[in-house]
Amino acid sequence: MSTLSPDQWQQVSSYLDQALAMTAEERAAWLSALGEQNPALAAQLRALLDEHRVLAQEGFLEKGPVALPSAPGLAGQTIGAYTLISQIGQGGMGSVWLAERSDGRFERQVAVKFLNVALVGRGGEERFKREGSILGRLAHEHIAELVDAGVSEAGQPYLVLEYVGGDHIDRYCDQRTLDVEARVRLFLDVLIAVAHAHANLIVHRDLKPSNVLVSKDGQVKLLDFGIAKLLEGEGQAGEATLLTVEGGRAMTPEYAAPEQLKGGPVTTATDVYALGVLLYVLLTGQHPAGGGLHTPADLVKAIVDTEPTRPSDSVAPTRANAEITTTNATRRASTPEKLRRLLRGDLDTIVAKALKKNPQERYASVTGLADDLGRYLRNEPIRARPDTFGYRAAKFVRRNRTAVALATLAFVATAAGVAGTLVQARTARVQRDFALRQLSRAEAINDLNEFVFTESPPPGETLDRAERILGRQQRANLADRVETLVSLGRNTGVEEGYARPRRILEEAYQLSRGLPEPSTRAKAACALGGMLSRGDQLPRAESFIQEGLKELPDESQFALDRVFCLLEGATVSRANGAALESISRLQLAQQLLKQAPLHSEMLDVQAAMYLADSYRLVGRNREACAEFEHAFTRLTALGRDDTGLGGSVSYKWGLSLYLLGRPLEAERLIHRAIVMFSGSEDAPDAIPMHLISHARAVRDLGRLDEAAAQAERGYARAQKIGEQVVVNQALLARASIYRMRGDLARAEDMLAELEPRLRSSLPAGNISFASLMLEQALIRQGRGDLSTAMDQANQALAIAEASAKASGQGADFVPTILVDRSDIERQFGRPDEAAADASRALGLLQAAAQPGKLSSTLGRAYLTLGRALQSQGKHDEARTAFRSATENLQDAVGSDHPDTRSARQLAELDAQSR
Amino acid sequence: MDPTISSLIGAAEQGDKSAAEGLFAVLYAELHRMAKRELARQGGPVSLSATTLVHEAYLDMAGREGPLFPDRARFMGYAARVMRGLIVDHARERHAQKRGGLFEITSLDIEAMEAAVDHRELAQISEALDDLGKVEPVLAEIVDLKFFCGFSFGEIAAMRNVSERTVQRNWEKARIYLHRKIRADLSL
Repeated sequence: MSTLSPDQWQQVSSYLDQALAMTAEERAAWLSALGEQNPALAAQLRALLDEHRVLAQEGFLEKGPVALPSAPGLAGQTIGAYTLISQIGQGGMGSVWLAERSDGRFERQVAVKFLNVALVGRGGEERFKREGSILGRLAHEHIAELVDAGVSEAGQPYLVLEYVGGDHIDRYCDQRTLDVEARVRLFLDVLIAVAHAHANLIVHRDLKPSNVLVSKDGQVKLLDFGIAKLLEGEGQAGEATLLTVEGGRAMTPEYAAPEQLKGGPVTTATDVYALGVLLYVLLTGQHPAGGGLHTPADLVKAIVDTEPTRPSDSVAPTRANAEITTTNATRRASTPEKLRRLLRGDLDTIVAKALKKNPQERYASVTGLADDLGRYLRNEPIRARPDTFGYRAAKFVRRNRTAVALATLAFVATAAGVAGTLVQARTARVQRDFALRQLSRAEAINDLNEFVFTESPPPGETLDRAERILGRQQRANLADRVETLVSLGRNTGVEEGYARPRRILEEAYQLSRGLPEPSTRAKAACALGGMLSRGDQLPRAESFIQEGLKELPDESQFALDRVFCLLEGATVSRANGAALESISRLQLAQQLLKQAPLHSEMLDVQAAMYLADSYRLVGRNREACAEFEHAFTRLTALGRDDTGLGGSVSYKWGLSLYLLGRPLEAERLIHRAIVMFSGSEDAPDAIPMHLISHARAVRDLGRLDEAAAQAERGYARAQKIGEQVVVNQALLARASIYRMRGDLARAEDMLAELEPRLRSSLPAGNISFASLMLEQALIRQGRGDLSTAMDQANQALAIAEASAKASGQGADFVPTILVDRSDIERQFGRPDEAAADASRALGLLQAAAQPGKLSSTLGRAYLTLGRALQSQGKHDEARTAFRSATENLQDAVGSDHPDTRSARQLAELDAQSR
Repeated sequence: MDPTISSLIGAAEQGDKSAAEGLFAVLYAELHRMAKRELARQGGPVSLSATTLVHEAYLDMAGREGPLFPDRARFMGYAARVMRGLIVDHARERHAQKRGGLFEITSLDIEAMEAAVDHRELAQISEALDDLGKVEPVLAEIVDLKFFCGFSFGEIAAMRNVSERTVQRNWEKARIYLHRKIRADLSL
């Protein structure tokens, strides 16, 4: 044998190209034809092609400089149209071989996968091939193509797959030290592939890192789509394949979903779960069932029963796992602490939703999961709602009897407290980190509270205990103690009334007197003021706010402390009924925040929210809704929409919408707040005022029995806690609900209880008396005592107008009174006055309404106006009014609501009567 | 100032022999340094794929030298050639040491690896490849990329902007050439 000279090689090179592109048969014919023209060339080509056959058999250059010791047994064997070259892997399902087509076409190399499963039943073989051909049509750039499926002569099923060079996705990420964001981006490619398969009705069933390869240039390829199903014999459950016994050792079903282990139906949700596990592993380096060695039995139990640790918690270092967590964080170009903060919030929520035990609670589709991850990457609010808050809140509230409503206010305390260490944080990413830092501080304080109150210490020991903890935290200097007490006081539950938090804040205040720092002194004073305004000590409350504000020098370094005091002061103003003062305090706070050298996103949100609330109080609901929506959007961007603060915004936004005549949306938002705060539907720990507001929205939707039950629940809760203002609201709400149900006597009982309470606690002229009078008027109307009803309605209107003029409070109540008075006037035989009142109400409502938004209040005003016009004999105009009423009511309270039906019937009736 | 990779590649392509040697030396040092760095970072024996290494070398150097750096395909051609030298040297060294070398180079997705090709055989392949490089450099480069660096046909095809079939055909031709050459050498 001689080597070819360069010239010789140049001569045969192009012929070799042709020959190598042919099948063996084609080639033989081609060579003999060539031999007739140029025998020497043909002979040379034959020799080279013979050499090629030999080198192919030898596997010359096939294995790379280093390779797995191959099992020589099967090398060279032919399986279907393929010749095995070398073994390239050994997995749970069987061995994998590199192979190429036997007929000499060099289309590509393939991987032949032998499956260690005996096909059961007589139809097994056909079924396997049939299913294989279905899977073979699943073409996607990120899915390794299934070229063929068959059963070898020895009876072993095999699959011929596109050969994919690459690494398991988890190893790929680790080796390249990909950070969280890069991992999420890569994972999105996996999701695209799985979504494509799902769109073709093929479920993978066995997603795990070894089935998700990433090539060297970063291309994701999914292997083994639907193969788990392929392996399932008729009547065999999924677990048979998941617990495949390999070499005497049971494989652990680490990526199996609970329903797979329990023999439930396997659906696309099963893949969503496995993807959740995969995402968890990619993000944390750990399995959701936690570290340590699991026996398969333990693992199964964990998958079926145990809630997984949140990803952010699993990466937090403890003494026992410091080494692992540091390694895992380093592989993610991070530190354990930084990684924990990165995962906390949206990624925790997204993973938790994918890992729900109940398939129905998971993402409805892989696309949904991908969508949320995309949102996370773009810093947009994700769609998944954290169950964790409800879950944690339910646990937390029941165990600690802590009013979570107040817990969120700790943000303000901490934000002001750490102001000195804050940096300007204005880009979205930094804002988010900032908020998370705030959160971790606030949560550290919450943890303290939890510890303090969990074990129900005997009365009086709380503070000792808190102090002991403070001492242990080595933060026992007086100023820190005051700060923590302030936060503690604001977090302490109101389950047993305000006495305890008030005592803690009094203590903080007293301690602060011995301090030189104006910041701490001011905060202690203002926090106490704010707390006192929740009880019955309003004048005292205001004096603490004044004192606190005076403590603070007019320097920019105290800006955030001043904001804190102004926010507390606004609360006090509001409790005093001075809504306009509250607004001006908040506007000042917003101004300070804009000018402050340090930026606090949370204080911004808080100020926006308080301002919205004050707008609401003075009846500027449209502005209020806009502010609430803004606050909620900001909170969501900060990853804090699932907090108590988010719940509060949700509630108050709902309230504004309610007042704008949108009970349907309002009912949903308020209900969301109730569920968030109490962690359950039956709301044993709900905030009483939430229940009352919910009752009102439900009442306006015409569901009177449900409304009555909710109002009674709210009443009982308010009584128990001692929130006198809410007890009053509850009595009023119940009165109206009973009246609408026709139970006038009971409604009167409610008002009889309410009136003395209002008289003893509120100054004459307070807007509450307008509500009381109007309700009394409506009851009199119901009893047919129209003249008294008229008097009372007049009085109600006078009070409301005066209050609106003086403090701004009650402005939005005026049209309601006008509408009700119009109705009384009409019955009283005064159609002109009735029409005038209804028209005026309509004008006011239209001015206040969201442009283009239909509302229930507008609908009722139109309905009342139509009736008045009808009595005036103006049928054309009446018909128009009824039509508008129908349009508004249908949209705002639904077409089945009694008012909607009346309006519709009247519109039709009036049309017929013409 | 040291000459840049860009300028060395430029000069080598103009036929400057000393530039070609300089380029080899620089790339060799670079890849070796990166392998050691990777080893130190992972703190133990690693499965470091040659592909990863040349990829990272490219990113590293392109980042350092800026926009005049040659395109990825051209760079890979040189890097793969250097990688071959590194692997051959490594195999020889490991054989000499009779124990694990500095790093494991794997191109397959399997943890338990063993040297599959004898270091002498590797050296022969390398020599034959040098020969082929003179006759049909394109074929030699494919062998460097595929056999020594573990790139797939698809990747190589994309890199050189030709069809995968063309790459496969060229690969088979190269195998024929090398096999014939080595067999001829052995029979001498």
